[in-house]
Amino acid sequence: MLRYIIRRLGLIIVTLAVISLAIFAIVEILPGDVAKMMLKQNATEESLDRLREQLGLYRPWYERYFDWVWGVLRGDWGTSYVTGIPISEILGRRVVHSLALALFALVFGIPLAVLAGIWAGIRPDRLADRIMSMVGMVGISMPEFVTGVIFMLVLASKFELLPPTSMMLPGETPWTRPQILVLPALTLTVVLFAYIMRMTRASVIEVMQSAYVRTATLKGIPMHQVVRRHVLPNAMLPTITIIAANMGYMLGGLIIVENVFAYPGLGQMLLFSIQQRDFPLLESLVLLIAGTYAISNLLADLSYAALDPRIRVS
Amino acid sequence: MTEDVNLNGGQPLVEMSHLAVTFYTPRGTVRAIRDASLRIERGEVVGLVGESGCGKSTAALALMGYLPGTTKVEGSLLFEGQEINEMSPAELRKLWGKRIAMVYQDPATALNPTMRVGPQIDELLQHHLQLSKSEAQQKTIELFTSVKLADPDTIGNRYPHQMSGGQQQRAVIAMALACEPDLLIMDEPTTGLDVTTEATILDLVVDLKDRFKAGILYVSHNLGVIARVADRVVVMYAGQTIEEAPVRDLFKAPRHPYTAGLLSCVPAPVSTENSAVQLSSIPGSVFPASLPTEEACLFAPRCPMAQERCRTEVPAVFDAGGDHSARCFFWGDVRPGIWGTDELRQEGERGEVEPVLTATSLRKRYGHWERKYLFFGPWVRPPVRALTGVDFAVGSGRTLGIVGESGSGKTTAARVVVGLVPSDGGQLTLQDEEMPSAVQDRSRSQRAAVRMVFQNPKASLNPKLPIRHAILRALRKFAGLNRRESLERARELMEAVGLGPELLDRPPTELSGGQQQRVALAGAFAANPELVVLDEAVSALDVSVQAQVLNLLDRHQDETGTSHIFISHDLGVVRYVSDDILVLYAGHVAESGPAESVLNSPSHPYTEALLSAAPVPDPDAPPTHIRLPGAVPTMRERFQGCFFAGRCPRKLDGDICDTTPPPVRTGPRSSKHVIHCHIPLEELTALQRNGTST
Amino acid sequence: MATEGYIAGSGFSPRRVGAALTHTWHKGLGALRLVLRTTSGRIGLPIVLVHAVIFVAGSWLAPYSFTSFNLAEDGTLEQLVGPSRHFLLGTDQFGRDILSRVMSGSTSLIAVAGSGTLLGIAMGSIVGMGSAYMGKWVDEVVMRIMDGLMSFPSLLMALLVISALGPNVLYIVATVAIVTTPGVARVMRSATLTLKEQEFVQSARLRGESAPYIIFREILPNTLPVMGVELTVRLSYSILIVASLGFLGLGVQPPSPDWGLMISQGRQFLSSAPWVALAPAGAVASLIVGVNLLTDGIRQASNMPREVAP
Repeated sequence: MLRYIIRRLGLIIVTLAVISLAIFAIVEILPGDVAKMMLKQNATEESLDRLREQLGLYRPWYERYFDWVWGVLRGDWGTSYVTGIPISEILGRRVVHSLALALFALVFGIPLAVLAGIWAGIRPDRLADRIMSMVGMVGISMPEFVTGVIFMLVLASKFELLPPTSMMLPGETPWTRPQILVLPALTLTVVLFAYIMRMTRASVIEVMQSAYVRTATLKGIPMHQVVRRHVLPNAMLPTITIIAANMGYMLGGLIIVENVFAYPGLGQMLLFSIQQRDFPLLESLVLLIAGTYAISNLLADLSYAALDPRIRVS
Repeated sequence: MTEDVNLNGGQPLVEMSHLAVTFYTPRGTVRAIRDASLRIERGEVVGLVGESGCGKSTAALALMGYLPGTTKVEGSLLFEGQEINEMSPAELRKLWGKRIAMVYQDPATALNPTMRVGPQIDELLQHHLQLSKSEAQQKTIELFTSVKLADPDTIGNRYPHQMSGGQQQRAVIAMALACEPDLLIMDEPTTGLDVTTEATILDLVVDLKDRFKAGILYVSHNLGVIARVADRVVVMYAGQTIEEAPVRDLFKAPRHPYTAGLLSCVPAPVSTENSAVQLSSIPGSVFPASLPTEEACLFAPRCPMAQERCRTEVPAVFDAGGDHSARCFFWGDVRPGIWGTDELRQEGERGEVEPVLTATSLRKRYGHWERKYLFFGPWVRPPVRALTGVDFAVGSGRTLGIVGESGSGKTTAARVVVGLVPSDGGQLTLQDEEMPSAVQDRSRSQRAAVRMVFQNPKASLNPKLPIRHAILRALRKFAGLNRRESLERARELMEAVGLGPELLDRPPTELSGGQQQRVALAGAFAANPELVVLDEAVSALDVSVQAQVLNLLDRHQDETGTSHIFISHDLGVVRYVSDDILVLYAGHVAESGPAESVLNSPSHPYTEALLSAAPVPDPDAPPTHIRLPGAVPTMRERFQGCFFAGRCPRKLDGDICDTTPPPVRTGPRSSKHVIHCHIPLEELTALQRNGTST
Repeated sequence: MATEGYIAGSGFSPRRVGAALTHTWHKGLGALRLVLRTTSGRIGLPIVLVHAVIFVAGSWLAPYSFTSFNLAEDGTLEQLVGPSRHFLLGTDQFGRDILSRVMSGSTSLIAVAGSGTLLGIAMGSIVGMGSAYMGKWVDEVVMRIMDGLMSFPSLLMALLVISALGPNVLYIVATVAIVTTPGVARVMRSATLTLKEQEFVQSARLRGESAPYIIFREILPNTLPVMGVELTVRLSYSILIVASLGFLGLGVQPPSPDWGLMISQGRQFLSSAPWVALAPAGAVASLIVGVNLLTDGIRQASNMPREVAP
């Protein structure tokens, strides 16, 4: 177990290194002259020169890379080129906003999805299961911007139950007007729910067909006990991995949803940094999101290991 | 008829009459059971035997009332006079675990991997016997004791993966016995276990039979196992019960040609002297479950006694007297000789021959030393040493048999010889010429000279390519034939292995396991090899097919003078085919030499234990008593003394076995017979004569 | 069955090619029947077929040009007209027929997503199979890189690449391919690792076959079913990503209509003219639902071999 943890921690460092290198390569090396891209057509030789100096483009790329990484590790994420505000300051508030949205979706979506998946998987091919399967199929097929627009149309435009956009006035937080959270969170939950429900169902069905569940059934113990003690512990193990894998999907969904509802989170900032060609900000945002995903995968693997006696006791 | 016999003797525990089970699957209709009748009395063990696809396991599950919803069940199945087929799920649940219990084929998958073993039994006791938690735990410990598990007090705290296969199966048996059921169904409980573990489990079953008054249905494909445990035997063929008799009658005087055939397919027991015979075999394969039942005897197409009547009329079950019945018109004419007289195999000149292949101190290890904390800490995990300096030689035109439990290194030895796994040390010499260890470094003629046939016939042929592919490629690579010539030769090869050349264009999925293995043989024979390595090549086949393939190998060897390395866990088969035998244990040679010398005393205590454990298809065979405790050590261990000391039943007093590697002793019959043991050979001979093994 | 000459074919003859074609045709028909036996297949296949027709001939079948600003008889712009006999799905703020725009919009979306997916499948297969076959440190290094790439949520990766390279059709195709590659590589690697240990591959090694022969002749045909399922799964995912890029304004640039962009721009008329956003939303959703259902049908059918006997 200890060896496993050490190995997994070692791997996450490698992964994070690959991530940071990839971001750096894509943003700063691939496009050629970053300064030209940032200034676009209104660039003069002087302004270009000044920007290159400011971004340190005259130094070799590896020096810049290590400076950047070292800065990130120390908490100095650099300055937004467009706004001139330190990036850590911009991100601080936005992280809280996005986190609120994600947590909302996770807290409601995952337990519901797991329960629905179990319910459908225990008795496959019954009516309830067929309905859940169809719901799941449509759910995973709907892009967030379609679901979002439909919710907006029905709940905000037609019935006017909720505000159609989630813009925040200066000084507002999600807590002062929690109703602005509802539509984006609901949209985010739909896909999350559909994916996790389908996967949970599949793993429950697989476990139900296993030899050890047959053994348990043929012990003559009540069905609910078979499900609780034999099916669920085994079916939940792969579900952990699935939830972690869906974090990446959810983070992608976050980008879309925040832009659908103009919710001021990381995703919206990301699009802003792309449109404004604010590369230092973009790099930080991508690193933050990808890092979050990598770490959530790490946590999933570790909790899997802790819950599976075959790994824990070996 | 059997159904009428017991009306006076009270109600039988189980009475199955004319049961038919049909599965409707997307793959089509499967008639798993067509017409099966049997009865089980309290306190008796009924053996249910037959080849794969004959409906044995379905019969077992039908007895539990545990069949999927899309199944049609006809006929009647009475448990203490109650119809199981008509019971509601709630009624069945009251029977399961309490009155009827089951032991499964693969204990590793039958136990919940995320739950400790003890609680898996506790919950059964708590539910059926309304015991409190602590009472249940106490009872579980008693159960563990009664199935002779070591450390019964603490073993319940283990997870299944922390137990050996034998321990897992004992735990499953303990679970089945928990409520002292009236009926115990054991579905191939020892298949997949090593022969040494199998022997200890069979001992336990025999012991249980005396202690519990339950009726036991013991399902197995292995006649040796059935002979050891059963009181009465029911034989199934193509979903029909075709013969039912007390065990001794069935083995001595079978009344159905199929039973007689099965018995003559099994190589003669190891203990019999000089049993080199040509095996009888049953031609063809089992009547497929996908076809509807015909108005005929389903065995007629394979039966040497079949007459016109057999092909047009369904035989009833005839009473042959003495509780013996058979589904055959001509049951009175069944003799052992119907499958051809056992012809004595050409003993051949067992004199000195030149070796084709010599292996000297072969070494192979997998993995590396590993540290406790990956990059830090002490070196704690040594690599697996699969072979530690193994020597052997294969004589020209001879067969070398390699035996040992799983994890003994026999498969690694095979892979090293063919070069799939390069050795870490030692030398392979092919006809006086040193051979590189990796296959890609060998010359074309060396690759052509050493060929291999694998265990799993399904996987040995590429499922996406027609079967001619394997043969044609070998011919092209090795014989350098052009397209037309190689096709011509491929047809000849197919005929040589007893298959029609028209099969060449078929995909492997349309062939049976036996046919696939013949194709694999044809591919191996294609380039006139010097040496064919057969790694468990007949182990996955049913006995009747196994006999066909063994005969084919034997004939080919006689005709071409090819040498074989024959690897098997089945001592009976190894004994039948081998001229020389190599016994491996944990990557070490325990004993090697000419077959007669190795299999007769003096033997290495490990060989002795293997011989003692092998089940003999003869109910009158004297019981054997040498059993190996525990499991094969993981090959990570380093042995100070003798590699076998940890499990040796004849370990010497004092610590010499634990501290000093054993000397190499030469046997009295042949200078080539070597035994690695501290015990002097005279003493071994004396011990083994007093014992009961040979 | 016309199996003769189907596989070992060296030397082409018309008869051989004909036989091979017949064989493939029969196999394809058999597979189709199996897919149609599943509920998902029965619903999914027609949806996909409709989209396929629109993909091929959409702009030709469309009642109006997708760029024409339609005028009413009095010369005013037919702005935000609701669904009617003339404009089945209504018009947008410039008086353009939405049906025509939806029908023309699938071409670029499916072409970009499809070719990106194909490219990604090819790259992923090469990387995965090669890595698995070579093993040792090559496998270790390649798979670490793939893990790193997989740590980017796909949309994020796509945004990153597009932002650096600019929203050009070719770059979007490349992005889709890059996003598709690691997942495919992982699946193909594990399939290859399993196959590599199979006895028939060992047999080929013992015959002294070369590595390319083993990979392409022995292993590849056995990975085709896996690849087929991957293709459909990834295709629906790629469509999602390309449409999302469009929605964020980073897709194929106007005037060529883009479903994602149409939805994005239709949002402002959601209360007054919901059809502007709903029509393309329905199109993209039905396309992905169709592909996913078909995938599900194929998957179920592949576990369900032909009827054995009557």
